[in-house]
Amino acid sequence: MDNSIDLEVIDAKIQAIKIAAEELKQLGHKFPAVSRNAHRILASIKMLEINVSDWAKLNVSE
Amino acid sequence: MRFIGQFCYLNKKYLMIADQKYWNPVLETLPRDRLRDLQLKKFKRIFQWAYDHSKFHRQLYQKAGLEPGDIRSFEDIRRIPRVDKAMMREIQCKDPFPYGDALCVPLDEVTVFRQTSGTTGQPVYQPDTWQDWEWWTECWSYTLWAQGYRATDRVFIPFGYNVFVAFWAGHYAAEKMGCEVIPGGVLDTQARILKIQELKATAMMATPTYILGMADTARNKLGIDPVGLSINKITCAGEPGASIPSTKKRMETSWGAKVYDHAGATEIGAWSYECLNQPGGIHVNEACFLVEIEDMQTGEIIEEPGRRGQMIITALDRQAQPCIRFSAKDVIEWDPKLCDCGRTFRLIKGGVLGRSDDITKVKGVLLAPAAIEAVVRDIDGLGDEYEVVIDKLGDMDRIKLKVELIPGAEDRAKAIENQLKDLLRLKTNLAYRIEFYDYGRLPRYEVKARRFKDLRKKNTNNK
Repeated sequence: MDNSIDLEVIDAKIQAIKIAAEELKQLGHKFPAVSRNAHRILASIKMLEINVSDWAKLNVSE
Repeated sequence: MRFIGQFCYLNKKYLMIADQKYWNPVLETLPRDRLRDLQLKKFKRIFQWAYDHSKFHRQLYQKAGLEPGDIRSFEDIRRIPRVDKAMMREIQCKDPFPYGDALCVPLDEVTVFRQTSGTTGQPVYQPDTWQDWEWWTECWSYTLWAQGYRATDRVFIPFGYNVFVAFWAGHYAAEKMGCEVIPGGVLDTQARILKIQELKATAMMATPTYILGMADTARNKLGIDPVGLSINKITCAGEPGASIPSTKKRMETSWGAKVYDHAGATEIGAWSYECLNQPGGIHVNEACFLVEIEDMQTGEIIEEPGRRGQMIITALDRQAQPCIRFSAKDVIEWDPKLCDCGRTFRLIKGGVLGRSDDITKVKGVLLAPAAIEAVVRDIDGLGDEYEVVIDKLGDMDRIKLKVELIPGAEDRAKAIENQLKDLLRLKTNLAYRIEFYDYGRLPRYEVKARRFKDLRKKNTNNK
């Protein structure tokens, strides 16, 4: 079994989810059940960024 | 290819994982120089955020002649003014109500209110957004995972859920990792013990004072030996006890469980944790916090191990009310070694040793209350509770220690008194008057204990 982690692949997925959640929040402008849940999803995505993306991007920027 | 502990980096992007020992196998094992790079990057980001969004921070930094572009190194960070609790109290007299102008988000983005316990004065209010709350939970997840909490655990939380942050985030972190959480909210101590017994809880979180108090209640009021219950790990916070070896030993013996320390604060976050190795200290979560240690006399930043100072801390991701170079008054020192657990997060030796404003001079000698606790809890025949009273007779400081003998130890009182006086003199360089009390006579506490009473200022004010 491959037991390696590719941080760039994980980060790319995180950014894709973030874009989708931001779009969802916009689309839910008049739909609180959508926008507020999308808002919460974005907070969770931020935790993924803290755990993965901040470090992955630090490497990429070198 | 680079080897770090049991891990292997391949062109900086790949990591071989041996097991699920770490909550974050990447950040918790980063080489120290890379971790420092990450901290610097994140510090610049939070500094910019506070500068852009908070009038208080912007004015503070402008007064010091600093702009975000000036922060390029750790040396630059040391030029940034500290923030302390008194400043936070002052800020809160300003708009917007009730937080003041350190607030970095519109009020309608604040989703939860917390406040400090007010132990050292007027409580400080703490606003958090939903993202901040996720962050609190995330920091606690590092703690609980490192202490062996897993989805198979049933976690009992004997805490009065209220305005104090205490174990709130521990609750949500345990849920996040899949544990089954039992909120022990308004139950009294006996009902909590019975609930632990009924549901076969495997873990719990509380202050050291309360952990010892629960064990005492179980034995003496319910006739239950806590060792026979199913608790196998306990996370302590709120007091330094879980890092005081004699107190930790008493808790572990009482419950037949491993006891782990954790330090955090309302204005800061959950910044540190002891790991399964119990290395005699706590790891700073350096992925989320920057800890500096400041010499209490000179203000110089201490890099080397073995020198005590007070903590200056920055929460690197906190949004609503940032915590940047906060003077926390916790007295700490770096451990010279890294932990065998493989984490590269530095260790604070012996945990938080006390608060700089608790350390007082008695007869010209600096006294830290934790040193007295370490002695009392190390003596067989003494109960868990004690009280220290300092007063003045004429110009002479006096220090009295009240202790309880456990039932059956009464005939050893003289020998215990001698042992206590000798050890206290050895550890604190002070002579004490000892007063023995019957078991159960000294006050019991449910959250943070108030065992240290300095009456000298009071006497001076009365004159």
